[in-house]
Amino acid sequence: MSISYSCSHLDPPHASLPPSYPSSSSSYHRLDRLYFCEECDAVRCDQCVAIEIASYFCPNCLFDVPSANVRADKNRCARSCFSCPTCESSLSIQASDQPSESGQPGPPYTLICPGCKWSSKEVGWNYEKPTGIALQLQKMNTQSEIVQSEFDSLKDHLESYISLSTSNTTTSAPSSVRSTRNPSRQISHLTQMAQKALHRDVGGMVAYSARVKRPSTTKDGEKEKYGWDELAVYEAKENWRKDGMGSSPNQVDVMKELGVSGADGVAELGKRWGKSWDAGKMTGDILPQRIPLQTKLTKRCPHPNCRHLLIQPDTKSVRMKIKMVAANYLPLIEIGRRRRRLPSNDIAELPELEETTSEELERRRRERRRTRAGIPNKEEDESMESPLKSGETYSFQLALTNPLYDPIQIRLTRPNSTSSTSSQERCNVIIPTPHFTINALKDAWAYDEEYEDDGNNDFFMGGSEAGFSEEGTTTTTTTGGAGGTIGKKSRLSILGGGSSTKKVRGRDRENGVEKKSNTSKVNLDIEISPNARKGDAIKFDLEIRYTYRSDETVTPTDTEGKAKGGKKEEYKDFTFWIRVDLGRVE
Amino acid sequence: MGAFDPIITYEKGTYIETDTGNKVSRKATIIGATNIILGGKSIIQTGSILRGDLRRSTAGQHVVITMGRYCLIGEGSIVRPPGKMYKGSFTFYPLRISDFVHIGPNCIVEAASIGSGVEIGKNCIIGKFVIIKDLAVILPDTVLPEGTVVPSMSIWSGNPGKLIDTLPETYQETMEAKCKSYYQRFRAA
Repeated sequence: MSISYSCSHLDPPHASLPPSYPSSSSSYHRLDRLYFCEECDAVRCDQCVAIEIASYFCPNCLFDVPSANVRADKNRCARSCFSCPTCESSLSIQASDQPSESGQPGPPYTLICPGCKWSSKEVGWNYEKPTGIALQLQKMNTQSEIVQSEFDSLKDHLESYISLSTSNTTTSAPSSVRSTRNPSRQISHLTQMAQKALHRDVGGMVAYSARVKRPSTTKDGEKEKYGWDELAVYEAKENWRKDGMGSSPNQVDVMKELGVSGADGVAELGKRWGKSWDAGKMTGDILPQRIPLQTKLTKRCPHPNCRHLLIQPDTKSVRMKIKMVAANYLPLIEIGRRRRRLPSNDIAELPELEETTSEELERRRRERRRTRAGIPNKEEDESMESPLKSGETYSFQLALTNPLYDPIQIRLTRPNSTSSTSSQERCNVIIPTPHFTINALKDAWAYDEEYEDDGNNDFFMGGSEAGFSEEGTTTTTTTGGAGGTIGKKSRLSILGGGSSTKKVRGRDRENGVEKKSNTSKVNLDIEISPNARKGDAIKFDLEIRYTYRSDETVTPTDTEGKAKGGKKEEYKDFTFWIRVDLGRVE
Repeated sequence: MGAFDPIITYEKGTYIETDTGNKVSRKATIIGATNIILGGKSIIQTGSILRGDLRRSTAGQHVVITMGRYCLIGEGSIVRPPGKMYKGSFTFYPLRISDFVHIGPNCIVEAASIGSGVEIGKNCIIGKFVIIKDLAVILPDTVLPEGTVVPSMSIWSGNPGKLIDTLPETYQETMEAKCKSYYQRFRAA
């Protein structure tokens, strides 16, 4: 049971395809997740907006990390925030149990998990100070020293080779044999030129150009002409064979432990794949990790000619500097009050459902009105959650809430009502009141005032609404002279005129529209097809077009929905699609 | 927002309504009421326990629990201030709850502070000295260990609780409307 709004991304808005179509390109989101670009006059969603990172912060210490430091910190908090290796909650710092001479608890400090009581004593980590744990850990980490010394010796080894080759480049002229025999001369020459051009070291060129050269030499068959530099074999300082890593006796034990799971066995994959690649596989080998940083995002309109900011967060607070969300532009639509039509009276009506002529619609509408007034037992309230039954007719209420400070005119239609697909055959949707208005959003006390002077003027709206619903046809049912005049006016003048809002009462019922403050409720009848099988999802799309009064600043050129009625340019249409999910058939 | 939400009724006389619009169940256990401040239009439901008596041991007036406007303490929830050993003696620290905070039924809350627009689902345990910043959602059955920090615009779930998602930018309006609507729908039968 949900209503989601369509976002057609960069396509111009078009009728959405039935839910069953795999080529249905637009995506559906809840209204509160959608954005709205005023420049493009279009809905945008999280999938299509352009995202930029506005700021980085640590979710544990809430420190705003300057973006310059983020890379050096490897996207993790560089202060004292660590996550527990077993339960991933953030570790806290605890002083040692034995109080020092001052009576205060003091060093050594350990990290302890408040969730699972894991302690850094298990991996032998303790610290002198309770602050800057990450820095202390970096200093403590002996592993990096070994790696660094190994790297330094390797660098020394290779540097001797580079310096040897660069020293010989005085013979820059291609004295053929020597230069071809020793590609390093050429390479180093290239390197030197590149260094001159770039004003920095380009060590990588050596390896690259050597790699490029090689295939060409073999192809030309002049292999004997080329020779390689006499590069001595590099002997690693720490040999893994010497360390006994090749065939350590405890590997047998490790193999035995591989079958065990839990605290003594192999760590879960989820815990391992975020860690560095050489970490141990056992649960006990996993070390606390620094907590990954979180971001605040700036969101922009994806249109290449627009790129306007839709969301700009404030780094200091939760407020947004710019917030263009669809909830401020599109009416909120909710569905509720499900009722099942009891079969007794509708048997005659059911077979002729296929052709829903306006006459038929009007007849049914009248009947529905009578139903509400007279016989109450024709419909039965049902829970929204209970499964639907095939072959039954349900009536729902659709509530639309206006977010604008002007009244809006709504038109509900079913897109692709002519095409029939398998999913659409599962239900038939009847919209008894496709046209109605929603009152403007006002402050709460403004509604109260209207409520009070509500009275004998009720028929005003009743009459005018009749004019709305029979758009194009002559006004037939006017309740009084005054109502008739309004009914004959164009609907826009009623909609926009300041006087009309006065006539719109706090709560009046007009031809199946139930109004309360800025919310209008209309009925929606759903006939579940008898062919619908168990488990079928009942989903359908609705097209919603609303006419609103736009600000004068908006030029008529950038309106995608043309204003209806040539001279009233301050009225604009906006069309969007929603998908109603009613749940599954029992 | 919430056009079809049903009215939540209680038996007449089971709740006391204060001048500022707070609705407090007669069956809620409120100890040390002088140390508890309610901001107004807040609801304290049946069976909940508020421990205002757990105050700092030193002499003088200490506010123990502060609550903002449009808050809800669900049925059977326990709200008590956090305490710990400090300089050799056990001390309680005040618990501050901002506006628009919904705490679901059967929760245990020992947080240090809860920001505005926070929703805590049912059966949650919020550990001692937890800090929940403005606009956050703690899904039902979550356990937040001691001292957890919940940043703004985040959704937490699990035992122990983890950050699982972020909230949409509209959440502030959504939550405020929800809290106001709940207060208006909560009335005597």
